[in-house]
Amino acid sequence: MSPSSGRMPAPREPVVRVTGLTKRFGATLALDRADLSLRHGTVHALVGGNGCGKSTTIKVLAGVHRADGGRIEIAGTTWDAVDYDARAGRSAGLRFVHQDLGLFGDLSIAENFAFDAGYPTGLAKRIRWPALIRRVRGLLHAYEIDADPQTPVGALRPAQRTLVAICRALQDQEADQHLVLVLDEPTATLPQHESDALLTAIRRRADHGQTVLLVSHRMPEVLSVCDDFTVFRDGRTVATLLDRTPTEQELVAHMTGTVLARTIDETVTPGALAEHPPLELPTAPPPPAPADDADPETVLSVRGLSGGPLRGVDLVVRRGEVVGVAGLVGSGRSSLLRTVFGQHRPDTGTVVVRDGAGRRHDGGDTRSRMSAGVAYVPEDRGGEAVFADLTVRDNLSVAVHRQYWGPWGMDARAESVDAAALVGRYGVRTASVEVPLAALSGGNQQKVVLARWLRRSPSLLLLDEPTQGVDVMSRADIYATVREAVGGGCAVLVASSDLLELCSLCDRVVVLQAGRVTAEVSGAQLTPDTLTALTQTTTAEPAAAPAAAVPGASR
Amino acid sequence: MSVTHSPPAQTSSSVAEDSTPRPVTRRRGRFRGLAERHALLVLMVAVAAFFSLFPPSADRFPTSENLSVLMGNQATVALLALALILPLTCGYFDFSLGATAAASTVLTAGLMSFHDLPLGLAVSAGIGLGVAVGAVNGLLVTRWGLNSFVTTLGMATLLGGLVQWYTGGQTILAGLDPRLAQFGSEELFGIPQVVYVVAVVAVLLWYLLSHTPFGRGVYAIGSNPRSAALVGIRVQRSAWTTFVLAGGIAGLVGVMALARAGSASADNGTSLLFPALAAAFLGATSVRPGFFNVPGTIIGVLFVSVAVSGLTLSGASAWVSPVFNGASLLVAVGLSHYLGRSRGASTA
Repeated sequence: MSPSSGRMPAPREPVVRVTGLTKRFGATLALDRADLSLRHGTVHALVGGNGCGKSTTIKVLAGVHRADGGRIEIAGTTWDAVDYDARAGRSAGLRFVHQDLGLFGDLSIAENFAFDAGYPTGLAKRIRWPALIRRVRGLLHAYEIDADPQTPVGALRPAQRTLVAICRALQDQEADQHLVLVLDEPTATLPQHESDALLTAIRRRADHGQTVLLVSHRMPEVLSVCDDFTVFRDGRTVATLLDRTPTEQELVAHMTGTVLARTIDETVTPGALAEHPPLELPTAPPPPAPADDADPETVLSVRGLSGGPLRGVDLVVRRGEVVGVAGLVGSGRSSLLRTVFGQHRPDTGTVVVRDGAGRRHDGGDTRSRMSAGVAYVPEDRGGEAVFADLTVRDNLSVAVHRQYWGPWGMDARAESVDAAALVGRYGVRTASVEVPLAALSGGNQQKVVLARWLRRSPSLLLLDEPTQGVDVMSRADIYATVREAVGGGCAVLVASSDLLELCSLCDRVVVLQAGRVTAEVSGAQLTPDTLTALTQTTTAEPAAAPAAAVPGASR
Repeated sequence: MSVTHSPPAQTSSSVAEDSTPRPVTRRRGRFRGLAERHALLVLMVAVAAFFSLFPPSADRFPTSENLSVLMGNQATVALLALALILPLTCGYFDFSLGATAAASTVLTAGLMSFHDLPLGLAVSAGIGLGVAVGAVNGLLVTRWGLNSFVTTLGMATLLGGLVQWYTGGQTILAGLDPRLAQFGSEELFGIPQVVYVVAVVAVLLWYLLSHTPFGRGVYAIGSNPRSAALVGIRVQRSAWTTFVLAGGIAGLVGVMALARAGSASADNGTSLLFPALAAAFLGATSVRPGFFNVPGTIIGVLFVSVAVSGLTLSGASAWVSPVFNGASLLVAVGLSHYLGRSRGASTA
């Protein structure tokens, strides 16, 4: 059985201790001697900006990645991190609930539990349904989940679904055995009131003696629920705060490293931070002047845009300007781009686009947006941008088919010549234009998608995570391509979770929080640290509006 | 999966690294591609040559009479196979096309026989029925997102039942305009007239699928409907149009079948549908491997009919024909899957 069984850790005694954890991906050092220590019966927050190494740590603990160095100690058993694997973590009592909960929505709660732990069977492998349902009902009761075991998981509210996943992960916990629950961004896609409900429930589990490691980007949440805090930056532990709730500014200051050196510091006092004023954060931008609309340089003008996660976005993008959109998952980053492209119809608000000839267009679907000169490179390349089994030539000409059509059909020769020219111009590495796109690497596929749109000479280019899953070389090519288009007068709106990318590519970055523009940064202020601080601190009051706009009954 | 060449594994690799193996791969890839594209045609020629030399069939197989009968009999299957590839290219099955053709046959005959309608009106009604059925199928599948497999299977069963009701289970023989049967049996320059109809439809469809923005859009939808919507292709409308066109062609198949047979039996169209499906999937392994296409489909029909005719003339029993059709369908689907690009099956 598990090594942790039979041994009851004393309250607040460390149950998980990770020391000197190092993990290298090629030339990048994702974890650089990071430390993490969880005390029994506490909720421990692991926080940090993008790429700080917290996801890597979770993946090492889950056995997805194997560390290059360090020690991992769980409930008295110690591993060299190099020898640690998924099985070791499980037998030592680590249980993971990822952002994708891995539940089967059409099946009942009881069956979801059974897929994890196995069905209780009787004679001739017959499933003993009453036994299963009785056991699951007991578990749900113990975890204070108000649902019947036979309810389909899809019928539950989002917070309840997460709780069911947590309960399932911990279902084999015996009375004398203490599992450690690792929650990876559990509230990222939940609306405010749902995540409140979930956090309350997590807090209650901790008060019952459950040890929880919580990874989250939402500062108010971790502050409201966590006992201890570990802050990562650049793969190192920069702060460990035990039994003390810091202020939001203090945590963000640790994340961005403006105050503290990169050393483990267990004795941070609030006063030490007050001497160093945190980053001067710009406040909400002044509303754009009304004259902007008539200005011929204004390519995109968004006013009071609401719908989906968006709650009144105002935005102006001018000719030859690159504007970035930063924000956490669920902030409405992608929805903004999709709405501008006419894929979502807004509830209220206007989107006015000026085409290359200076005419203004408002409203309309994807096709009318395209004819207004808008181009859109979606985030999900495989699912929404490429035609993997069609040739490179087909993928390049799919948005301009009509220009090759004459009385004698499609002009295949002109199409091939143009495709070859585009492949050369945008540096696509392919054996020929007649090769299926699937044969190209991710970076080259993305170049093809970009070329497909740029050949239309768009007046507004929308990019959603333009370099996701793209190798370093292609990334540089893509940046150069975007800059070239901008040089030609194209306006670009780019949404990205890569803050460094936003800083290097954009003239200006707007920060979205809960569907609103809460800040705008440009010039010298445009640094990854400023953006980290702005995306993660609450400058707006997101609770009121979403709670009113998303009635719980409809979920 | 890459069939024609090896993908550049790392784009960041140096130029020298990947310039060495490529010429070899490419030449081999080109040969493989060529062999793949024309394997079915070569196989058909080989089968035809075999039956022309094989003693039991050698005196009757390679004659112009046999060729004429063969083409005339396969005209309806060929037309139906062409109808099938339209929704298949979009990624949808339409199993109701056989039943649509049967219903069109019965309606055309019935209108002339029971209601004394003129030939032109009856034929228009038959084709119009096909268009209407296609429109309903298309609406159910594209607008309401129902599964095409089940929807069209339901429609096929429904139409089969209606055919039984309309004819009372009897074959309609009397009261048909003789000009129709005449058209079905006469030849022009030694080739049955119905074959010209097939040729015209095939050329039109080939132009539509390979040489219009609409056709290119249809292939894009079959490849990735979500991407297609995001490059401004009207996905629902295009898919619906393929159902309507397929229905219309199936209606025409019904009229051709009536012209060939000179009578309308209470049939559910399955005997027509399955060979046509086999031909369509065989066609997807040829000319443009991995994609349903018009020339490939025609080659597929000819391959099946040449083989079956040869077998029959060599004295093989009646059961040989369905066995051969079934076996070639299995092989065709297997080959399409091996090529890894058949989307028809993946959407079911």
